[in-house]
Amino acid sequence: MKNETVLKANHIMKSFLLPDSFQVLKNISFEVKSGEFLCLTGKSGSGKSTLLYVLSTMDTAYQGELYLKGELLTGRTLNQLAAFRNEHIGFVFQFHYLLPEFSVLDNIMLPALKLNKFSRQEIEEKAYRQLTLLGMQEQALKSAGRLSGGQQQRVAIARALINDPAIIMGDEPTGNLDSKNTAIVFDIFKELSQSNGQTIIAVTHDNDFAKKSDRVIEMNDGQILF
Amino acid sequence: MPAVNYKIAFVHLTFKIKQTMVAMLGVVFGISMYVFMNSFMAGINDLQTTLAFANTAHIRVYNDQPPDHTNIAERALKGYPVVLVRDSRVIKYTEGIKSPAPIISWLLNQPEVAGVEPQVNSSVFFRNGGNKVNGNLCGIDVENENKLFKIARFMTEGRWNDLKFRPEGIIMGSILAEALSVHIGDNVNLLTNDGISKNYKVVGIFETGERDIDKTKAYVNINAARQLQGKNQDYVTDLQVNIQHYKETGPLISRLAPVIPFKVESWQEANEGMLSASKLRDIIAMAVSLTILMVAGFGIFNIMNITINEKIKEIAILKAMGFSGGDVTVIFLFQALVIGLSGGLLGLLFGYTVCLLVGLIPFKLDGKEHLPFTYHFADFYSAFLFGLVITLFAGYLPARKASKIDPVTIIRG
Repeated sequence: MKNETVLKANHIMKSFLLPDSFQVLKNISFEVKSGEFLCLTGKSGSGKSTLLYVLSTMDTAYQGELYLKGELLTGRTLNQLAAFRNEHIGFVFQFHYLLPEFSVLDNIMLPALKLNKFSRQEIEEKAYRQLTLLGMQEQALKSAGRLSGGQQQRVAIARALINDPAIIMGDEPTGNLDSKNTAIVFDIFKELSQSNGQTIIAVTHDNDFAKKSDRVIEMNDGQILF
Repeated sequence: MPAVNYKIAFVHLTFKIKQTMVAMLGVVFGISMYVFMNSFMAGINDLQTTLAFANTAHIRVYNDQPPDHTNIAERALKGYPVVLVRDSRVIKYTEGIKSPAPIISWLLNQPEVAGVEPQVNSSVFFRNGGNKVNGNLCGIDVENENKLFKIARFMTEGRWNDLKFRPEGIIMGSILAEALSVHIGDNVNLLTNDGISKNYKVVGIFETGERDIDKTKAYVNINAARQLQGKNQDYVTDLQVNIQHYKETGPLISRLAPVIPFKVESWQEANEGMLSASKLRDIIAMAVSLTILMVAGFGIFNIMNITINEKIKEIAILKAMGFSGGDVTVIFLFQALVIGLSGGLLGLLFGYTVCLLVGLIPFKLDGKEHLPFTYHFADFYSAFLFGLVITLFAGYLPARKASKIDPVTIIRG
């Protein structure tokens, strides 16, 4: 697994037509290996978030080619992409976006139930293991809306991990957390990339967070600086 | 489709139970109104049919006016420059139905015929002292008449069967008796078109509730009527025929009409006005209840739209996690389905209950004590079906909207 190319971006270009014609990504090409902890940084409007959403397969309005796990994803249907995301990509957002009507456990289990590869029993056990790993096992049956911000973000990470995705993508995953919780999230990510060989791609404003990661891609004006 | 979609739909339904209830109540109300309106209209139509059949048989055979042959000379002498027939007349060669016995026995052999009754009807003057009222005298076969029209239930005084043994007896409509100021046991004088006058004794009074009948009609034994008219024992003016299923008059008429030289008339033909009235009522009932169902559909549409707007971020997250547009459609359509199914079943129950309750309201007509209701399985069935279709449609539009949500726009804000 280690050091295989997990993600390959080939001449990715993207323009917004509204309100004004504006090229937000200019010919971006790079590769990411498995087990890498990559941070995308740059000023606001540099295109780092836009790039992340293109890489995440959710944004399909771009030119160029995107390979994930060796598969060309450009040009696939929305449903095929959804199925691919479900199995291979985990998401952590700045705002945790848990489903408030569901319990913590149910929130974590949802992507696995959608994948429908394992029995409910197995999924539940796995969700409990994730929670225990993140030190949240006591909150399992609580409603997701009743947790603190840091706890919710850990639940969101557990949810992102439930299907053992090859890539975990984070859009400002610590943007809403204090320094203590930021450190916890960083450690979790570090651990995942080092022990499990999972690739982490995170957009962040936090320079300290970025510095500690394996690799930083800084963007400016829709281009990669270094 | 994985079961998790239904789990999410179920959580959505139960989390805001009040909202779900409101949507469901709309369906309940729509469907119960549909059931109520249609059962009520069916009850009224049935009552009207029963009333109509109190005087009219399903099929009536009678000797109509003969065709107009006054221009026969003109036809025979075609080509002549001038044909003049002065003071031409229509001559009716036979009165009544000639030799009815074979027709009756033919009718009785038909499988769908439930009863046949010969009648001798004529128009007469009823006289009592100075009072003189025009009316219809109906010479009837006492038992058969009651079998066909259940006339005995309308008797307010006297007994119907007395007519059987009283050749001088007469049973009159209540308004007619009042106009003549005669009571049970009194004598009344009848004067026919041919100038024959005879006395009868009032042995009974009836009241059908239909003014035209009560004002003009009187019954005597068929033999007494023949005697009054100076006719033989075979004389019949009308044959009243009842069949098993009153709506299916067509086949019998198409077999009977070509072989006898008399007018064969179905009740539908004789009561066209009544039929179109009942059809109109059906249309109104349908229109009103469908409108209510549509309104209920809009209610569901609104609530689903609100729910989807509230949950737009969650939908975006579900899609980010790998739920497809189809999954999202299923999640919301399933909610509409549950609302439609449960609202539909409750609506049927509630509608039936409302019918039962309204059916307790007193309403006296034609021996009925309460407002009439008739329950047809088809009404309940179609109410449920319409309700379900409308809910699914009302749910489908917002569900499709939800399935098309672009997660990037929502998540990036």
